[in-house]
Amino acid sequence: MKKFIFILIYFIMSICIISSLLAEEEISEQTIILEVQWFPQSQFAGYIMAYEKGFYKNLGLNVQISFSDGTDSPINKILNEEAKFCTAWLSQAIVLKTKGTPIVNISQILQKSSLLLVSKKTSNIFEPTDMNGKCISTWGGDFSIQPNAFFNKFDINAKIVPQSFTIDAFLAGACDVCSAMYYNEYHKFIQAGINEDELVPFFYSDFDLNFPEDGIYCTEETFNSNPELCKKIVQASIAGWEYAFTHPEETLDFVMKYCDEFHMQTNWSHQKWMLEAIETAVKYQVGDDPANWGKLRKDDFLRVAYELKEQGFIDEIPSFDNFSKGDKK
Amino acid sequence: MIDDLKLEIKKPILRKLILSIGIPLLIVYLTVLVLNYIWGKNAALEQTKKYLRELTDHHAAVLDAEFSKITMAPIAVSEALENLQKPTHEQLISLVEKKMEFNPNIFGMAVAFEPYKFSSQKEFYSPYVYEENEKFMSCELSSSYNYLFKDWYLIPKLLNHSYWSEPYFDVGGGNILMNTFSTPIYSKDKFIGIVTADMSLENLKARMDSVQIMGGYTFIISQHGTYIYHPNKKDIMRETLFSKAQRVNYPPMREFGRDMLKGNKAVIPFLDPIQGSKQWLVYTPIKSTGWTLAAIIPEKQILASVHSAIIRQSSVMLIGLLIISLVIIWASIGITKPIRKLVGLAGILATGNLDVQMENIKGEDEIHELAVVFNKMVIDLKQHIKDLTTTTKAKQAVESELKIARQIQESLLPRIWPAFPDREEFDLFAKNIPAKEVAGDFYDFFFLDDNTLAIIIADVSGKGIAAGLFMAVTRTLMKTVCQKGVEPADAVEKANAILCQDNDACMFTTLFLAIYNVDSGKYSYANAGHNLPIVLTKNGDCRFLPTLNNIAMGIDDVHHYNQSDSHLEVGDCLVLYTDGVTEATDGSDNLYGEERFCEKLKINVSNPVEVILNKIEVDLDKFQGENQFDDITMLFIRRN
Repeated sequence: MKKFIFILIYFIMSICIISSLLAEEEISEQTIILEVQWFPQSQFAGYIMAYEKGFYKNLGLNVQISFSDGTDSPINKILNEEAKFCTAWLSQAIVLKTKGTPIVNISQILQKSSLLLVSKKTSNIFEPTDMNGKCISTWGGDFSIQPNAFFNKFDINAKIVPQSFTIDAFLAGACDVCSAMYYNEYHKFIQAGINEDELVPFFYSDFDLNFPEDGIYCTEETFNSNPELCKKIVQASIAGWEYAFTHPEETLDFVMKYCDEFHMQTNWSHQKWMLEAIETAVKYQVGDDPANWGKLRKDDFLRVAYELKEQGFIDEIPSFDNFSKGDKK
Repeated sequence: MIDDLKLEIKKPILRKLILSIGIPLLIVYLTVLVLNYIWGKNAALEQTKKYLRELTDHHAAVLDAEFSKITMAPIAVSEALENLQKPTHEQLISLVEKKMEFNPNIFGMAVAFEPYKFSSQKEFYSPYVYEENEKFMSCELSSSYNYLFKDWYLIPKLLNHSYWSEPYFDVGGGNILMNTFSTPIYSKDKFIGIVTADMSLENLKARMDSVQIMGGYTFIISQHGTYIYHPNKKDIMRETLFSKAQRVNYPPMREFGRDMLKGNKAVIPFLDPIQGSKQWLVYTPIKSTGWTLAAIIPEKQILASVHSAIIRQSSVMLIGLLIISLVIIWASIGITKPIRKLVGLAGILATGNLDVQMENIKGEDEIHELAVVFNKMVIDLKQHIKDLTTTTKAKQAVESELKIARQIQESLLPRIWPAFPDREEFDLFAKNIPAKEVAGDFYDFFFLDDNTLAIIIADVSGKGIAAGLFMAVTRTLMKTVCQKGVEPADAVEKANAILCQDNDACMFTTLFLAIYNVDSGKYSYANAGHNLPIVLTKNGDCRFLPTLNNIAMGIDDVHHYNQSDSHLEVGDCLVLYTDGVTEATDGSDNLYGEERFCEKLKINVSNPVEVILNKIEVDLDKFQGENQFDDITMLFIRRN
């Protein structure tokens, strides 16, 4: 019996060792899908360049970038194991984490919120309180957290209407204030012939609502089982961002190639603006040294969590250490 | 020979003609050309501006009419639905199909309702009718399509009025790049949904591709500046006029775009930042959709018509200038050729060749007259020279005869010196220097007896043959009347009486006659109007013989002549002379005069009479040079 048990233990150990060895092999051969939140654009230029310049491959990673069409959130994709890693907003991730979703932040790429509200000067809205009684269009989901916090903070009672993915309603005058990403819609106003000095922007970051946005996430299981892989993903992605910022022309050519493949209705100038805006968000408060990039600041985490709690999105503030598994600051 | 003449003319007439006609003509030509270009260009540009405005307005109006027609169908459906109480799916589809039948430009139509507004059983209801293979097909927009958040639904709902959406790629609906007109449906003033009509932009592109505006290209931008049509398909829906302005870093393009979005129209020249050439931008609004139809035309295309007109005019003027130049050259050659020929002939003429004639004279102009006059001149010259030759020959003959006459005359005068070698009582020397070949002066001396010498000097009025003949007659007469024992006055009176007879020529002569006794030195004399003789004493004093107030011979046949007596001391010299001596003139019309004459006599008093006379002659020669106008005759006699 003892012999049988010994043989059984030996057999099990052998299988475990072989399995672990096989698993190691599988990591290098398996396609690792990195799901980003939207169609190709400069918002994801770092990942694109990490892929195109072989930074993932150099670390033995067979990464494939998957662009979301907006129908399902990237976090759902990693939960459903359709992707290994994804990018997501910090606010969304905190809400989900609080609800028990087993995800971890392994890197906080964008340090600054690019979300803002915009009105035309002709609407005579110059202070948040001027928005009372006005028509404001906002996006749903993660994009609604900051606006709600903003409205609550300034006790704004406005007509909130849903906003599509275009800025046409605002341009057509269907609403007085609309939501915009600084790197995207805000520039689309400019590309629609509106001069910057004709607009009044309300950056949430200027109203103590700086919610750092894109971060890299994976499941707790992925992180626990292979922290090295997570580290490599972050390492290569940051290298991709560094390359993108130092080689903007080449990067934009790649971005536009991806945009063409996806029949994106965008143009080179717009993607250039976006890349520059993203660069500002990446370097915000962490500086130009890539070694400092991608670190989640506890202050930012707590601010977002606190506001989320204040707004009733979450009941309690999750543990920072449980949430953030990447470099911290 | 004439043709071979190479004339070196510094400023030929051809050059003068070209400078005086060609250059001003060229200046006028260039001025006209420049003015023509400036005025023509401005006029053509204004005309082109107007044409471009009208052309784009026309194209915009055509599109506007079509778009307006598209809007009619959804508005009609919306109005029908407002009146229909609870329409069925089939009624709805039938209604839409009917409207689409009359509007083939509509790609598809949707009727989208607010949640549960069509049926309390259905949250989302939005049938979509489209044409496929000339048949109407229908489907329902899926719930995942979520039309409530689509601009074509949301914006007219918020605006409460119709709306042309921005172009979009409709995924799940028409699956094409389209543009939607949406109009709200109200039921009892409450919003219940939207009716849309889709227009394919593919059709628009096919249509616009055929629109040509003066070799430029057209484009249409949406109310937000997005390219709805552009010849470069890649730009459609991707670029806006403002993104292009950003890309090429050309801010003016942004201002043009902003002006377009305001619904303005304009024609603006601008410098294309990419091509670096001047272009014209023309734009006009398509009112129904709020779009703008624009065209960009290369200015060189616009100016092409102006330039071709200018080139045509320039060519005509250039040909004109060439013709005028040729005419100038031709005319110049026509003028200068005979003149050059004339110059050549004149040159030959100058060498003495009179056998030249200007031939082949054509026309009746001044050149022709010049040639005729030249020919006449040559003929006249020839005749003149012929006459001159004849005259010269005649003159030579006369001169020859005069020479002979002179010789005869000279032979008449005593000219062997010493005249009386064997007489020591006196020395005598005389000389006649005629101004012309035959002189009117003469002298003579001859013994009347052994001791009595007749001395005569005379000056006949006038010169030449007549004077010579009169002198010969007078001399002969004097020789005849001077006989032994004759008194000088008688002799002169007699000779005068004879001379006066048949003196039709009214010639006269002054004459001095002295009857000299060689032994005693006494002499009596008669002076018929002749110069007063001078007595040169051995001391060198000069005194004139007193006048006797007698007139010249040959004037008055009964004139009584007086005579007077005088005598020569030993060594004294009686100087007889004609007025050719004292009235000799130099180049400045100064007279030789009696004073100078006497002075010379005094200086030379110690010399023999021949020497004295010769010295006087030399002095006279020196004084008057070539200006001897009168005969010079001198006779000196000295008592020894």
